[in-house]
Amino acid sequence: MDFKLPENTTMIADTARRYLKDNYSFDTYIAQLNESNHLEANRWQAMNDLGWFGLPFAESVGGYGGSLLDVCAIVQELGAALCLDPFVDLIVSPGKLLEFANTPTSLSLLDRIIAGEARVACGLYDRHAGYHVLNPSLRLNGERLSGQKHVVSDGGVADTVLVSAMSGDELVIVALPFDACDVERYRLLDGSRAASLTLDDVLITDEMVLCRGDAAKQAVSAWFDYLCALDCARMYGACRELYQATLEYARTRKQFGTTIGSFQVIQHYLVDAFIDLQQLESMLLMVSVKGESECNSERIRATSAAKAYYASQAVGIAQQGIQIHGGVGVTEELNIGHYFRLITHASLSNGNREHHITRFCQAGGE
Amino acid sequence: MNLDFSNEEKEFRKSIRQWMKENVPDDIRRCTARGAMLDKNMQQRWERLLGSQGWLTSTWPEQFGGPGWSATQRYIFDQERASAGAPPTSPFGVAMVGPVLYTFGSEAQKERWLPGIQRGETLWCQGYSEPNAGSDLASLKTRATRNGDHYLVNGQKIWTTQAHWADMMFCLVRTDSTVKQQQGISFLLIDMKTPGLEVRPIYSIDGHHHLNEVYFTDVKVPVENLVGQEGMGWTIAKFLLTHERTTIAGVADIHYEINRLKSAIDALPTETDKQLAVRRLAGLEVDLMALEYTNFRTVAATDEGKPFGPESSGLKIKGTELQQRVSQAMVEIGGLMSLPWDNEEPIGEQIFNQASRRYNFLRACTIYGGSNEIQKNVLAKMLLGL
Repeated sequence: MDFKLPENTTMIADTARRYLKDNYSFDTYIAQLNESNHLEANRWQAMNDLGWFGLPFAESVGGYGGSLLDVCAIVQELGAALCLDPFVDLIVSPGKLLEFANTPTSLSLLDRIIAGEARVACGLYDRHAGYHVLNPSLRLNGERLSGQKHVVSDGGVADTVLVSAMSGDELVIVALPFDACDVERYRLLDGSRAASLTLDDVLITDEMVLCRGDAAKQAVSAWFDYLCALDCARMYGACRELYQATLEYARTRKQFGTTIGSFQVIQHYLVDAFIDLQQLESMLLMVSVKGESECNSERIRATSAAKAYYASQAVGIAQQGIQIHGGVGVTEELNIGHYFRLITHASLSNGNREHHITRFCQAGGE
Repeated sequence: MNLDFSNEEKEFRKSIRQWMKENVPDDIRRCTARGAMLDKNMQQRWERLLGSQGWLTSTWPEQFGGPGWSATQRYIFDQERASAGAPPTSPFGVAMVGPVLYTFGSEAQKERWLPGIQRGETLWCQGYSEPNAGSDLASLKTRATRNGDHYLVNGQKIWTTQAHWADMMFCLVRTDSTVKQQQGISFLLIDMKTPGLEVRPIYSIDGHHHLNEVYFTDVKVPVENLVGQEGMGWTIAKFLLTHERTTIAGVADIHYEINRLKSAIDALPTETDKQLAVRRLAGLEVDLMALEYTNFRTVAATDEGKPFGPESSGLKIKGTELQQRVSQAMVEIGGLMSLPWDNEEPIGEQIFNQASRRYNFLRACTIYGGSNEIQKNVLAKMLLGL
């Protein structure tokens, strides 16, 4: 086995870290938190210039052929910086679904995403189906689509949405304009922007249906696993920063005439966090490779194990980080509470722990 | 990045698997499958069998008689050993005094003691802890006074695992009480048959006799049994804390235990019981996966010549915690079936019959070899700079 990152991945990670250090501070984040439009033109262009828009996609579909490992390297740094720029929501998430769907219509829409010309979001969740993305509650009856989509993450700016629906027993993926829906926009736990969509007998023409049946199931399933791996990467980046900040705080914060890091109970909390972080990193490396495996059972087993593990251990580190900071840890002014929200958010998007334990049990393999 | 074993490693696995299939004695396999303790005869037969292959000391460098395996090969061997239902080997000779001797010992000491360890013939025990020197090991008081060509040892050791089986003890003794605690400690090899040395049993909560007290009254130990110089004992003890820890997490044996538990789920009374057990096991498997991939990273780093340092203490802490949680799950899932203690015929599934003894036994694993709290103190100091 070899756990060294390929040179290219290390370069991508270094570039991302440097770019965010220069362009995205905690103040930038706080300002963006109060915006309803999360697409900031200069930074969006900068990401495009860095080649991130094409990176996640195969060369055969017009991308630059980056691996999941490469994309995780970027997303990890976005998490570390608390960055709300909707790179995943408007590029990776819809793009991968379109790539996995792999039809002429889906690939031409993907072209426009890679070119930075389209504002497409994924609408695969609704509260009735929960995390069961292969059985959405939206119904396509003949040419008419009705129902609801919730938590459609779109940076507050998408004009097109890829929705899943059941047409009889068949899963279908449909691309339609936001305009065709009743839209309610809001902020999410991590500060990102999302929408609820209500569809009332929306007319769907044949060319709006991207794929259906087993092909649609396979695409959504692969998409779900890919997004799970990105959730882990984002949580890892956030955890890494939160842990460092907490360690630094323990080294400098004085009470009872000495640093709190000299107290054994604080030392043990921090050692626990250190060890857990080490294991979280191992799980991230594992899922960054196996999360795009073509073997379904191997892929599902890997992503659900990783996501279930993160939902307990990454969240645990975040909780402990607040505890060690004390009162200041629960304030809006300090980044610690914001990391806590990000990590909690990512542990609940694309399947919570219970969902992934169930899925892990059903995956078989090993 | 490559998370697969190479073809050569897969071939190696195949050959070890085949050997295990043909050579692990049936009585030992059955004993492990039941979750019972091996007696001295079984333990020693197994170690001699490995010794005859040159595999008992697989972690040793080739020049001292190791088989020249990579860390990855040793890891694979351990996986195949555990999944074949064979027990782990006793650490005292192979993993502790052996490396001490080939690192710090004289040529004469190496020649005299290493072959017996390699062949599984000499059984060793570890004389570290004392009644008033547990976690605070450096405060130990057992005294060795130089008297011509020998030392006279007086004092008491405690928690000495397998002292009643052992031929030899490696022992930390105080040779100088005028200097700083750590600097007055020396490393002595003591023949367990020496007059004045008395072993008394301690029965532990699993109902078995593993532990002992060892009393020394004017025990004569030849000076050639001193390893290194006087006062080097603490350095040697610390050396062992980071020496070769690629299988310390016990991943292979935890896998074996989880699989044993899986195979017993059908014996549970209702579908709900079964489902809850399956979910609980899945949670443990997920945690094991995180431990295992961390372990893989240490193995890969060792093979690249960059072994983990104190970071590997995390493997001991997480590994022992997980061993305890799996054994607890076994007892709790077994429920009523886990209650009988000394019956011949299990009520219900055999696997649950010994589960409570094992659960009791494993309470010790977060205590021995430096309690997890002590490991955390060391990590906080060495890694986190606190």
